[in-house]
Amino acid sequence: MTTDELEQLLAQQPVSLLHRLARGRVHRHFRAGKRRLIELLLQHSSQNLAGLESDLQTLIAERQALPQRPRTPARRKEEAAPTPPKRQHPPTTGGEPDTGGPAVSLASWLEGIGVPPPQPFVPDPWQVEALAALAEGDVVVSVPTGSGKTYVAIEAARRAMEDNRTVIYTSPLKALSNTKFTEFSRLFGPEKVGILTGDRQENGQAPLLIMTTEILRNLLYDAASGEIDVRLDTLGLVILDESQYLADPERGVVWEETIIFCPSQARLLLLSASIGNPQDIADWLSSIRTTTCRLIRHNKRTVPLRAGYLHPNGKLVPLFKTASIPYGHPNHIHPEAKRLFMQYEEETLPSGRPRR
Amino acid sequence: MPPSIHPVDLITALRQKHLTPAIVFLTSRRACDEAMESFDHADIVLPPVRQEAIDAVLQQVIAQYPSVADHPLIPTVRRIGVAAHHAGHLPSWKIAVEELMRQGCLDAVFATTTLAAGVDFPARTVVITQSSIRKARDFTDLTIGEVQQIAGRAGRRGKDQVGFAVIAPSPYIDLSVLTKGLTGHPEPIESQFTITYPMVLNLLKAHPLEQIQSILAKSFAQFQLNRRAESLERKLDALHVQMEPFGPRICTDWITQWQTFDQARRQRPQRHQPHHESPELSARFHFMTPGRVVGLARGRGIVLRQYRSKGQRHPMISVLRPNGTVTECPAAAVVEIFDRVFDCEETSSFPWCSAASFDELCYQLTELPPRLPILPILVSQESVPLPDTVVQSLGDFPCPTCPSRPACQKDFAIAHRLRQEQQRYVKSIQALRASLWHRFQERVDVLQKFGYLTSSAQLTADGEWARLIRIDHSLLITELIRAEAFSGIEPAILTGILSSIAHDDDRPGSFPRISPGLSSLLGQVRKLAESLSPYEDPPLLRADVAAIAERWVADPQLTWIGLCRLTTMAEGDLYRLLARTLEFLSQIHALHATHPGLADTASKAIALIRRGVLEELP
Repeated sequence: MTTDELEQLLAQQPVSLLHRLARGRVHRHFRAGKRRLIELLLQHSSQNLAGLESDLQTLIAERQALPQRPRTPARRKEEAAPTPPKRQHPPTTGGEPDTGGPAVSLASWLEGIGVPPPQPFVPDPWQVEALAALAEGDVVVSVPTGSGKTYVAIEAARRAMEDNRTVIYTSPLKALSNTKFTEFSRLFGPEKVGILTGDRQENGQAPLLIMTTEILRNLLYDAASGEIDVRLDTLGLVILDESQYLADPERGVVWEETIIFCPSQARLLLLSASIGNPQDIADWLSSIRTTTCRLIRHNKRTVPLRAGYLHPNGKLVPLFKTASIPYGHPNHIHPEAKRLFMQYEEETLPSGRPRR
Repeated sequence: MPPSIHPVDLITALRQKHLTPAIVFLTSRRACDEAMESFDHADIVLPPVRQEAIDAVLQQVIAQYPSVADHPLIPTVRRIGVAAHHAGHLPSWKIAVEELMRQGCLDAVFATTTLAAGVDFPARTVVITQSSIRKARDFTDLTIGEVQQIAGRAGRRGKDQVGFAVIAPSPYIDLSVLTKGLTGHPEPIESQFTITYPMVLNLLKAHPLEQIQSILAKSFAQFQLNRRAESLERKLDALHVQMEPFGPRICTDWITQWQTFDQARRQRPQRHQPHHESPELSARFHFMTPGRVVGLARGRGIVLRQYRSKGQRHPMISVLRPNGTVTECPAAAVVEIFDRVFDCEETSSFPWCSAASFDELCYQLTELPPRLPILPILVSQESVPLPDTVVQSLGDFPCPTCPSRPACQKDFAIAHRLRQEQQRYVKSIQALRASLWHRFQERVDVLQKFGYLTSSAQLTADGEWARLIRIDHSLLITELIRAEAFSGIEPAILTGILSSIAHDDDRPGSFPRISPGLSSLLGQVRKLAESLSPYEDPPLLRADVAAIAERWVADPQLTWIGLCRLTTMAEGDLYRLLARTLEFLSQIHALHATHPGLADTASKAIALIRRGVLEELP
């Protein structure tokens, strides 16, 4: 839309809408008459007419959505109702243009923030499914970060230990091993949990052993070359946490070696963050192990995620048009976030550098 | 506008919207430290109740890990409720921060995006400030999986109804990488299987060579290679179908037959091209360079330039004649080429050389002796010898009279392309199926060359112990042991050498002086590492790093604080260096059966390293 067209469109709108549009854009806009207001709006947004236009379209759409409602004073109060919390924003935040219509407003984006009421812990269906599948064969779990993979690990370890089987739990980082050692010692009792890392060995005969994957690989090599390690005979379960490390350029090979040489009587439980091809890993396991491998995957997060954009001046806006993340639609960006980011890029990029 | 939001404003904004606790991922450790410093004079202080809660948790951690007690960040953590958590800190500090986060005492933690995987605690909000991270010296965009891993820390199960991923731009952020990362489907993972020397030794210890191929076939790498091979095989099958109409005709292999015939047909006229330069001319032409004395039908001259003219069949030369004139003549008109060249400064316009050299050449030309040696020039008989199949006369081919000639001529282009594709697929399928095995065999060859394996791929006595060294740079370490580089050395020097092998970070730092003993041994190690470089990537072998590890072992009075003062390395890096050296030492210690003296030195070194912070920490 050219500037002239935009000017015409602005002139067709009622002045109240123009005032709403001017909020946060034009200083003391309430003083200006309609013609002056249009002039100021265009002058202010001369760098970013697209942003002005998209906000204008949103406002028009919003108006058209409620055409039959009489514009009574009561209605005005209703409209004003959501504004008081906005006034509490620091002065740096500036005015909050209304972004109703197709794009979500900040208030509804922030809605639901807080602590949920305490609920008794009920395992998710996928967790139950994973544990049940582990009774029959190997299991690959690929779920988003923070979904509760540790619960599956703990329950699986508990069940294996109840059958007098040894459990080995491996993690890629020593720090993670240490955290898990503390956590598991608290759960199962310190005498039941041991740890073996490159530089730490404690309680090496315990039924639940925590180690880095490299150590397990070394154990398996020693077992293969005849230096039998007693624990491997009773080994019932091997849990490989963070299995997406399989794709690590330097250390990925260790995960493969571990899986290839894992004794056949032991069940394998691979816990991984969301990856693109978990089915491949499950197929691979099925092809090299004696039992078939079940894949448990889901992409839904237990705690829903929302994305926001925080401008350097402290202004917070939703990043996407919808409150939740629009999976598969990276271009559904909130018009206000888009406007602010373009403004940011223009001001921070060295002059003359073309914007991507 | 500031290039990115000020940390104090960030925390204020997050608090106002009730978006705390948050994990803020920043570009570098320095950015995290600077963010912490910016709170020094901030007045966004926590209420006393919360300060006391932080104190209580910190006291608990300090009881277990005393090294946390005098951490310089503690006052800021108490006052503001923010902390930094990155690889430069000691693990005990990181444990303290994680504990504080778990108890919900902190409002924000500043962490580096590079180590996002090591941040294993959730928060309500994750703040992302960049779209690329440094990987092996240059910045690469975050993958979808990485963005989701980072964003995944937002939203604590049971403590939050919603989690928030907030993008706070900093310079050079690319918003589309992040929006794609948040909304996309994570990338498939690829196997990174490599064949290492210890792997070869350990496999051959446990299994005969014949079984190895089937063991390698069990790898995820081979699984993925097979997948690719299968998809190629499907394409190959499709090609077979496409090839069906081009099956055997009057001759079975008509494609090859036609190809040879076609080539011969094309080459034949070329052999008698009338306008083609004669081999003599093309051989001699190379010698007619500026400054060369040539003999013409009448008199002699000096070549000034070569050129090809459109109107002329032969290449042309400009010649300076004895009377000072410049004439143009075809190169074929040159009768003799003399073995005499003068310096000639060429220019791009008439008279094709600078005025000075023009005068010089005119003078030289008049001063030439009457007899000049002639340059012997070898003339090859035939420019391109034709293959035997082509040399045979076209009459030997059945094609010209063959009834299927028109069909062959028509289909040849398609059939030939299809057949080439087929052959290419067959080759790549073979390569995919056998590449792992070939790589294994390459490693076996190297190990045989160094004497760890016998010619029948059995482990030698050296191989038996070498297979116990299962760390990076294993070949260098076993070769050092075999060269007796470590015999009778002090534990401190052994530690120094191993730490310089173990250290793979090239951050600069200033470090204490290296002892002469360690320095000379390190020189030997460098030489050996260089000679091994065709077989194994050499480690950095930094002297300053070796010196710092040596100092820690050699001086038992040295405190951790004292060690940190000696260097600009971050505490966390120092800790990691020593912990990694410990790992290497414990591998050496595993050789106690064959190398008792060395294993003893290693165990002494282990005992000496484990003190102070290194003993306290898990």
